[in-house]
Amino acid sequence: MRLAAGVDVGSTQTKAVIVGDNGGLQMLGRALVDTGANVQRAAENGFIAACQQAGVSPQDVGYVVGTGYGRYKITFGNTQMTEISCHARGAHYLFPATRTVIDMGGQDSKAISVGAEGEVLDFVMNDKCAAGTGRFLANAAEVLGLGLDEIGPLSLEARHPVKITTVCTVFVESDILSYLAQGKKPEDILGGVHLAIARRTISLARRVPIEQAITMTGGVSRNIGMVRALEQVLGTKLEVGPDAHFAGAIGAALFAIEKMGESFESGIWRPADAAHTS
Amino acid sequence: MSEAPRSEYRGQIHQQQKDLMLHWYERLDESARTGNPPAVSLMISGNCIELLEGFGAVPLYPEVNALQLAIRHQSLDPILAAEELGYAADNCAYVKADIGAMIKGITPAGTPLPTPALVLCNFVGCNTYVKWFEHAAEFQGAPLAMLDVPFLRTAEPRAEDIDYVVRQLHEIVRQLEQITGRRFDMDRFREAVRCSARVEEAWSRIKNLARRTPSPFDAYFDAITLMGPLYVYRGSPEGVAFFELALKEMEEKVARGEGIYDQEKFRVVIEGPPPYPFFRSFRDMFATWKATAVASTYSTVGGLWEFGFRHDPDHPFESLALHMLAHNVTNRNYLQRYEQIRRYVEEWDADGIVIHFVKSCRLFSAGQGDMRDYFTRQLGVPTLYIESDLEDPRYFSEAQIKNRMDAFFEALEHSRSIGTLRRGAAALRHPAAGAGNAPVAGERLKILP
Ligand code: SF4
Repeated sequence: MRLAAGVDVGSTQTKAVIVGDNGGLQMLGRALVDTGANVQRAAENGFIAACQQAGVSPQDVGYVVGTGYGRYKITFGNTQMTEISCHARGAHYLFPATRTVIDMGGQDSKAISVGAEGEVLDFVMNDKCAAGTGRFLANAAEVLGLGLDEIGPLSLEARHPVKITTVCTVFVESDILSYLAQGKKPEDILGGVHLAIARRTISLARRVPIEQAITMTGGVSRNIGMVRALEQVLGTKLEVGPDAHFAGAIGAALFAIEKMGESFESGIWRPADAAHTS
Repeated sequence: MSEAPRSEYRGQIHQQQKDLMLHWYERLDESARTGNPPAVSLMISGNCIELLEGFGAVPLYPEVNALQLAIRHQSLDPILAAEELGYAADNCAYVKADIGAMIKGITPAGTPLPTPALVLCNFVGCNTYVKWFEHAAEFQGAPLAMLDVPFLRTAEPRAEDIDYVVRQLHEIVRQLEQITGRRFDMDRFREAVRCSARVEEAWSRIKNLARRTPSPFDAYFDAITLMGPLYVYRGSPEGVAFFELALKEMEEKVARGEGIYDQEKFRVVIEGPPPYPFFRSFRDMFATWKATAVASTYSTVGGLWEFGFRHDPDHPFESLALHMLAHNVTNRNYLQRYEQIRRYVEEWDADGIVIHFVKSCRLFSAGQGDMRDYFTRQLGVPTLYIESDLEDPRYFSEAQIKNRMDAFFEALEHSRSIGTLRRGAAALRHPAAGAGNAPVAGERLKILP
């Protein structure tokens, strides 16, 4: 079986996926690790963990495509591709009807218009600003003393969501503090926070034609509060699967198996520093 | 991804271009030391260099000085100096670099620049020019003249507009005669206009060679290198010799089937000025993908000649006025810019458009969001929109821009591999009725030839 991998080194988490091809494509393994300060090591650890889960040896993987902001740090990859191409490809694989991808990650968010074959037709990204990204949510959670995985479900309990007018990741802190001082409930504050980001993200996304089906990818797709807020603003349902945050790595792995072509290249796996991989 | 291949054109003209620009700085130096030749400050946009030739005066282009500082990574200090003086963050950084350099005594060649005999604000299109030149005159203690060129509101300039500009040109001639004590040499002026027409003919033919596949040169990056001689020497025999040689070299390249890469992969139209502080890295981002700019709007700031306009030695003043009013991208309206780009895509056989939004420059950049919508949604042409600045290095985020560029070219490559990428006329979808809200260029306005 021909084996290829996609490694998506995001600002917060690194995702790795192993695909196999013996006539038909198969997802064999995946792994998720925190990126932390050592980007190179995160990429290696993610890759090894995905290999382990797939029950294959790293040496047997014939082609690796790196993506995400840390892609140029992947020492063992064959080539790099942008997360825009990879998310589009991954989303199209997960939901073939996808025409629009909304990807929300740790430090950027983007909207991609996708063609019938998963090709990118157009895209927009947030610019030089963390508004509308996972970073914004993480700040809000921190101010409220809550875990990142708690804020989504809690926001769904909002009865009277507050109005958050700022989209600035720094200033939202003072907004939240003043609402707390006014005695507002955390769930109402969170409801407001999620809606604010959803509006910001959708106004960005409207710059590409938003067409059905709309698939959400990226780490923030695991936040149910964000998914619902986006659906509310859009007035339509989003496709969000359990693998949505792996979309970039899946897309990278699909490009990898395609680029590998017929030629099987062994011995791709050359860790930069073998000591810490054992 | 592989290393960016070297892509700029190197022929005889490469060295000649350097020599010409060096000679220009030598003349400015001479002017600074002796007052002879007199120097006159001018704006690049729709410049009237021919008029200066009638006095044997040397042009002083603040924009060229500013961009030279930026290319040499020396623009931030003067920008900061100007901001300390009170210039706001959103002022055009060309202005700040120029004024800051004046205050700090920084010059591109290291030698002092002359005090201009006249600061001639040929106000074409951009109203920042007015304040910029007022300040420059003030700081340099030089007299100021305003040449008010009305913005092009109609397809063709009206007779009153032409007359209005011609009368001002005569006034400037009188003013310069008084200031310099030199008589305006009508024969020399007419000869300069004749030289310009020849340069424009050669330049236009060079630009039209970029319609070939592969294009023999890059009509953005290489064109920018040729812009120095075009604006400084257009009205002189040196300019004629240079551009006729350039044409010959380019024609030879075409005959050899030579492009700027071993294989030209993508053809794009670039809209907007370049990020001068990162000129090399920006060029490399295209070179990595073997993408050639086959046309650009920025290279038409000083004049738009590839569609046929030429200066006319039989009507020298009127043709100067026409050039300033209608035949440079700066003074033309937005719909005409849309049409210019559309023609480039169609006739120069492009795969897509790259719009570089420049924070400094409202003139160029305001409305580019709509422009992007027009080309992607109505015409169906792949269009990338990126943002930075032409002078201020603080607005350039290399990783972000590179990421977008790579994504754009990856998408073109992917589309090509599945057979959906179209080029040139085939890339243009006929505007769907009622689609989007961008105006259809050419519909309400007759577009100039
Ligand atoms: S705003 Fe634009 S056109 Fe005006 S002076 Fe600045 S760079 Fe030039």
